[in-house]
Amino acid sequence: MNKQTKVWLVLSIALSLLVLGSACGGGGGDTNKGNTNTTATNQEAPPSGPTGTITGVITYNGTPPAPKKIDTTADPVCGQKNPNLTTDDTIVKDGKLANTFIYIKDGTVEGGKKIGDYAWPVPPEPVKLDQNGCHYAPHVLGIQVNQKISITNSDATQHNIHPTPKLNTEWNQTQSNGAPPIEKTFGRAEVLIPVKCNQHPWMKAYIGVLKHPLYAVSAADGTYTIPKVPPGKYTVVAWREGQTPEEQTMEVTVTASAPGKADFAFPKAGAATSSTKPSLQMLPAIEFPMMGKH
Amino acid sequence: MVAAKDKLAIGNRQLAMNRGLNRFAILVACATFFLIIAGALVTSNDAGLATPDWPLSNGQVFPKMVGNLFWEHGHRMVATTVGMLTIVLMVYILLKEKRSWVRKLGVFALLAVIAQGLLGGLTVKLMLPLAVSSAHATLAQLFFCTTVSLAVFTSRSWIEATPLSEEKGSFPLRYLCAGALVTIFLQLILGATLRHSATWDRHLPTELILAHIGGAVAVTLMLGTASLTVLRRHPGERFLTRPAIIALTLLVIQLGLGIAAYMARLASPNDPQPLNPMISITVAHVACGALVFVTTIVLTLRTYKVLPGRTALSEVLQGVF
Repeated sequence: MNKQTKVWLVLSIALSLLVLGSACGGGGGDTNKGNTNTTATNQEAPPSGPTGTITGVITYNGTPPAPKKIDTTADPVCGQKNPNLTTDDTIVKDGKLANTFIYIKDGTVEGGKKIGDYAWPVPPEPVKLDQNGCHYAPHVLGIQVNQKISITNSDATQHNIHPTPKLNTEWNQTQSNGAPPIEKTFGRAEVLIPVKCNQHPWMKAYIGVLKHPLYAVSAADGTYTIPKVPPGKYTVVAWREGQTPEEQTMEVTVTASAPGKADFAFPKAGAATSSTKPSLQMLPAIEFPMMGKH
Repeated sequence: MVAAKDKLAIGNRQLAMNRGLNRFAILVACATFFLIIAGALVTSNDAGLATPDWPLSNGQVFPKMVGNLFWEHGHRMVATTVGMLTIVLMVYILLKEKRSWVRKLGVFALLAVIAQGLLGGLTVKLMLPLAVSSAHATLAQLFFCTTVSLAVFTSRSWIEATPLSEEKGSFPLRYLCAGALVTIFLQLILGATLRHSATWDRHLPTELILAHIGGAVAVTLMLGTASLTVLRRHPGERFLTRPAIIALTLLVIQLGLGIAAYMARLASPNDPQPLNPMISITVAHVACGALVFVTTIVLTLRTYKVLPGRTALSEVLQGVF
């Protein structure tokens, strides 16, 4: 080798080692960027007087798409435990829609203070998310900022849990059968964070992270109740998953004596459902700069 | 010109073709092609993060390969094999090859495969940032180009090729072929970026689709012109016409696969998981793209080998205008 070749060789090896160092040094950890401590002492505790509720029913407009059968041949354990595994993005019974996330987005408590200005205490008990039958249960859940989420694996196979947030820190962790629960927190409010298992790509869940506990997920009969709502006027949002998640809002007044009522219907009349045939119109999925995740 | 021809012929006679080396280089090139297919399967199955660690998979050298781990760990196993084959190839070249530039290319192949492995690790560790994933896919094509070039340079047809005395036409073929090659490479970068910009359950970004379609038009024009010019100017030279015909055939197949891949990806967000035919069509599109690229490399290298060169660009342009 001549001198020039040697120089290139040394440079290439140095560059390779540098890249290796970066590859091995990054990732890991479960810290969140910009942790927002909602129990900060400079914020007032939420009002302690009588509270009300917000209740409602989520209905489905039109004929819901039939659940799609999932092919589990890639991991026989999934098929053995859950032979009739189907998609759970649109669970409709008697015209009522489950798994809609309903939450107070904004509003003013009686007395004039914004709902977001209070320091809501973080519940000490963790929210549970289980992987059972190669399926996330629950499919949609809510959690408060900095509240623990405890993730368990009830399957005789391994999964990996991979939330893909935009505001919180992304992480990806494998959990084998019998492994202890994975406990994590999210430091920033974000509605909603998609969660997926890269080993079983049909497995999806959504986590709504809020500063306050004023949220609910519609049950199998489409009903929901947001309890312990301080009297006031609020903007209530109902969120439903889809290729383009759909959100609907409603202004609701809550008093201690009369619950607020907010019924929603999805999809909105004329809106395309996720089961419709693909159109030529596509939504930009790329975010610049180029270091964005896909 | 005659002097150059004689010089080349004398040089060729001095070179003894090593059949074993050539066969091994072909083996490495074929293994690399298989590796590209394995990598494409990882992307189409959305398996890139089936394990969060690297170089081990879930902390193991041989994990239970179920679910998407089959694709991701399988890709790593094929990549490791190709890496080892490349080490052997480099040593083989250093031992048997006399031409210093071929020896250097052998060393470069090893550095490229190491860099490619590290980029693969980086994609996992950084959780698939678009730039790194696209760079990984692009470097794969460059590495394939390198192994195919080594197979070409060690082949009997290359060593024994005799130069043609004249270029039949005003615009040098080698520039046409090199232009096609650069256009294909840019199209490969666009394709890699497009492919990694959205997973199967999301629609691809319109801007990138349009850019990739524009690239397909440019490649068709450039490669079509280069190949047809080869066939028109040198119909009797199989050394040149064979890669030209193969490139044209692959181009037609690739355009068809591109349309099919677009249609399949348009529908895939409504599927519950990555499914066929989307997986097979998109993987075939990647594989055929790689074949178009390396066939054009063979064509370009051969034009540089047998057609007269050293024509200044200014002379070329004067001839054209």
